[in-house]
Amino acid sequence: MANPAKIFESIGKRTVAGLDEMGYAAAIFFEAIYWTLAGWRYRQPVRVSATFAAMMQFGVAALPIATLLAATIGLMLAIQSLYSLSIFGAQSYAYFGIAFAVVREFSPMIMGILIAGRSGSAIAARLATMSINQEVDALQVMGINPVRFLVSPVLIALVIVVPCLAMWANLVSLTAAGLYVSAELNQSFGAYVNDTIEVLQTGDVWQGIGKAALFGIIIALVGVVNGSTVQGGAEGVGKVTTRSVVMSISLIIVADMIFGFMTTQ
Amino acid sequence: MTMTDAHLSAEAINQANRPSAAEIASRRKVIEVDSLDWSFGPRQVLFDINLDVREGEIMVIMGGSGSGKTTLLRHLVGLMPPMPGKIKLLGKDMGALSRMQLLELKRRIGVAFQFGALFSSMSVSENVKLPLRELTDLEERTMDIMANMKLEVCNLSGFGHLMPSDLSGGMMKRASIARAIVMDPKLIFLDEPSSGLDPVVSSALDDLILKLRDAMDISVVVVSHDVESAYKIADRITILDKGQILISDRVDAVRNSTNERVQNLLHRRSEQAEIDPTEYLRRLAGD
Repeated sequence: MANPAKIFESIGKRTVAGLDEMGYAAAIFFEAIYWTLAGWRYRQPVRVSATFAAMMQFGVAALPIATLLAATIGLMLAIQSLYSLSIFGAQSYAYFGIAFAVVREFSPMIMGILIAGRSGSAIAARLATMSINQEVDALQVMGINPVRFLVSPVLIALVIVVPCLAMWANLVSLTAAGLYVSAELNQSFGAYVNDTIEVLQTGDVWQGIGKAALFGIIIALVGVVNGSTVQGGAEGVGKVTTRSVVMSISLIIVADMIFGFMTTQ
Repeated sequence: MTMTDAHLSAEAINQANRPSAAEIASRRKVIEVDSLDWSFGPRQVLFDINLDVREGEIMVIMGGSGSGKTTLLRHLVGLMPPMPGKIKLLGKDMGALSRMQLLELKRRIGVAFQFGALFSSMSVSENVKLPLRELTDLEERTMDIMANMKLEVCNLSGFGHLMPSDLSGGMMKRASIARAIVMDPKLIFLDEPSSGLDPVVSSALDDLILKLRDAMDISVVVVSHDVESAYKIADRITILDKGQILISDRVDAVRNSTNERVQNLLHRRSEQAEIDPTEYLRRLAGD
């Protein structure tokens, strides 16, 4: 039988470790912002070229898969909306649910999950490998702040790129859904577009963009914290990469719920 | 001439060029370590370390595995805080410096890590240029010239376009040294420069260290467990054992030391530790 004292001890240790990790993530976040704003004072500005390279890697290179996923989500929502609304004979209102669901929920969340899987893992693996190979130590002894050099460009890139991808996903999803709904209901695509524009408020779009920016921060910090606390060799890199993806996706879903709750009260 | 003969003659040449004890003592201190202690949790790794390195001197820090030499090096290069204790580099107390002053100080030192620590996503040339690119406002052409000069000094001319994964062990170490000296530092630290290298490559690296000291007039701290290499390049040797300095003196004095543990390390003799059976059983049981 398990010893209750040991169970409590284990819970306590995990809680402390979790809090420690959160504190570390917060410290990294504020240090990245500090270096972004004050790097020039130390003659170490955050490199624009490094930020653009990260944006290309995380955003532009992800466009094909982002487009495919967004179109699929739009079609899926259209199919399900038409089916469920047909029970009440209200198929012509399908655009209502599709517009809100895509703009406020699905686009930012699906893009967040996509980037967490695609780029969050890459960030964690890169940093973990660099830590193991003493590359991070090398930066420190050269007088190059590792947070400024490695974290700030990634953080800035993700805060810009994930909302941009979410906006793109809005366009693609709504178009795909609109084409399907128009064909099914024998109405013009233009009428669907007008209805969608009429129902959507600017606040709905901003809510999606805000969420996506928050997801970008989560992906960057989770990747960086996991990558920089790696232990062991190649096996350690694999572990932190997996942990980073699972943690990012979990946090994105929880943050989405909290954000959604707070902005609809 | 055999390899050993060549090695001995190089050692003899360096010995002849070695400054006298009085000459070393008259030079300015570039490193001063004062009462440094360090513990990892309950395990104390360094005990009351007091050490100095003088201008233009090659100091080799030796010791067996787990003796604390890498931990000491990490303190010296600012990767670990000197608490409790004090470390002065180039006359600056590292514990008392502001962030800006610490960054400025780090520009004046160079470090070559045991496994190179070259950035795998950059070519050798880009690796060498990295400190220039990040810490100076030099033009690209000037950076290219400076990087090529350092690569040439380290016998890597023509290899700048290669990626680190394309380099041999010896080339990796030399590339790492080229990066360490690209900012023309006053002090460089080399971590295990000869580990994993064959004797010929290792000897060539020793020659490079001597050449750098003489050509650039820099102080060099080498952490190593290679006795032959230490005899060849060192002005002074510091031997660490179980976190304590056993001896820190000129090469001859270390060689002729009557301390048994020093001689054991220099002659690669294992120490037979007395085992207390009760303690041994307690350790196995994890009590």
